[in-house]
Amino acid sequence: MGANANDAQSLKDEIAELERRLTDAKSQLGEAIPDQTRSASGNDAALHALLLLSDSALPLGSFAFSSGLESYLAHHKVSPPSASQLPSFQTFLRLSLSTLASTALPYVLAAYRNPEDIETLDNDFDASTPCTVARRASTAQGRALLAVWERSFRAQYTHETVDPSQRNGSIEHSQHLASTALTSFSAALRTSDHLNAHLAPLWGLVTNVLSVPPSDSAYLFLFSHARTVISAAVRASVMGPYQAQAVLASAELQERIKKLVAEGWNKKVEDAGQSVPVMDLWVGRHEKLYSRIFNS
Amino acid sequence: MSYASPFAASTSKPGQGSISVALLPPNTPVLRDVSYQYPLKLVAPDALPPPDHEEEHAPSLVHTVFLLTYGGGIVAGDAIDLTVRLDSGTRLVLLTQGSTKIFKTPDPSVVSRQHMNVHLAPKSALVYLPDPVQPFAQTAFSQSQIYHLEDGEGSLCACDWVTSGRSARGENWDIFDYKSRNEIWRMEAKGKKRLLLRDNLILDKHGQTNMALSQRMDGYSVFGTLIIRGPLYASLAQFFLDEFEAMPRIGGRNWGDTVEVEPTPREQWRKAREKRETNDGLLWSAANVRGFVLVKFASKEVEGSRNWLRDMVREEGSIESAFGKGALLCLK
Repeated sequence: MGANANDAQSLKDEIAELERRLTDAKSQLGEAIPDQTRSASGNDAALHALLLLSDSALPLGSFAFSSGLESYLAHHKVSPPSASQLPSFQTFLRLSLSTLASTALPYVLAAYRNPEDIETLDNDFDASTPCTVARRASTAQGRALLAVWERSFRAQYTHETVDPSQRNGSIEHSQHLASTALTSFSAALRTSDHLNAHLAPLWGLVTNVLSVPPSDSAYLFLFSHARTVISAAVRASVMGPYQAQAVLASAELQERIKKLVAEGWNKKVEDAGQSVPVMDLWVGRHEKLYSRIFNS
Repeated sequence: MSYASPFAASTSKPGQGSISVALLPPNTPVLRDVSYQYPLKLVAPDALPPPDHEEEHAPSLVHTVFLLTYGGGIVAGDAIDLTVRLDSGTRLVLLTQGSTKIFKTPDPSVVSRQHMNVHLAPKSALVYLPDPVQPFAQTAFSQSQIYHLEDGEGSLCACDWVTSGRSARGENWDIFDYKSRNEIWRMEAKGKKRLLLRDNLILDKHGQTNMALSQRMDGYSVFGTLIIRGPLYASLAQFFLDEFEAMPRIGGRNWGDTVEVEPTPREQWRKAREKRETNDGLLWSAANVRGFVLVKFASKEVEGSRNWLRDMVREEGSIESAFGKGALLCLK
């Protein structure tokens, strides 16, 4: 019994020592490559926030949108009609992720890094969204995210009022800025005709306040999109729920999202743009479908 | 009053050019400045009175300028930088003479560039319906068209379209890099400005699609954007929206329960056009965003898009009546 207690104690010590060394090593690495290596898994608060945001029960209403999938399928009828739409869907998923990464991801990261620019970013993203269908989808989810922030998260994430004099870390400073920017943005949204509340910049802002590291924020942004499109595919009878999980779990998807985050990491918002021009047509023509089960 | 020389003055930097249209009161526009430097060339034929010149506020003349390049294309490393300025009450037609060919580059990092800065005063109008850009295989090209609208006013109708290359030689989006940016800014007093519209097309190897560019384009060999804004084009903008609205539903069927009435000429035209759209594999959409009507189109062959665009603009008619038939020269 005593020996067991000793063993347990030494194991605990060893764990503590290993954790300390891990933290040290991470902080050294963190200095070398600032943002990218900070990850939520070593940080309980960030992990918690990540789980909150990745929950499909997060009430953003994403399930109502297929991001052009429904229209794409209508433009790519398979013959015979009983043939599998799966290969066609795989193509769409790649194109859709590529488009999102080239058009929206820079705005996520820019708002994360410069919370005070949120109004300009919101305006510029709006100016860069060429069709009503895509705008509607983006602002509906953006407004929903803002509502979740106000009604559910804000109390938790602004009440940890650390004494301002102790707010020395640049991360905390940035979170404070982001939280202030969020509050003033949602106040301004009620009175201004110019603000739209697009999802991408608001996502960057909210994840900042929730202390999700930027690389995780970007990853989750793309992952959530993939999940939404895949879930839409299940409801559009492209595949079954197990197949859907297999696509979502695949190393291929994981690798693709990781590389897209790396590609977009330093892209300026001015250089965001459409990399799959036909996507604009599919999304734009969604409202011309005879029958629709999605809003985009 | 400056003297308009028949010989254009030269600017100092290669590829630089400038076009400026001023108004001689009460309603006579003059080309105050047309200057250019190799490899850019500008040709301004005699101005003609527009068909609507007897209407109030219409200028007595409409100037036309052709944007040309020596050799009919842009060689690797060329840079063109054009500034266009329209005073209040003036109209200008900008045209090209044949598609803008982009020639092969020895190295993907040698990018050819074309940049255009346009300043529109209130009550001025520009129509820019050029031929498409045709980047050959192994080219790197980047262009930008930046429109500055004083107080957000002025009328603008601009088309930007690109083709897959020399299809006769089997080229099918075999480019290294193609970027085209259209931005419209509202310019306010004290140098403040606000972005009204950004349409940025980026075709390069990024995106992690594991697909060749041609596959990403889904079998289309032309993509285009038509940007319409301002009072002079109000009816044209509405026309595109109405025609989009009237488009038959995708996947809809004729159940035979609609009463057939004698079709109007417009309806007959629409039926015929829709048939051509199907034959040409042409897809299009129109959206009303932020005070613009933004039209996107794509087709299997260049001629499909060209014919469609001409058909639409002609049927509506307001460009021809405000600028004359010449404005549609590149769509022939």
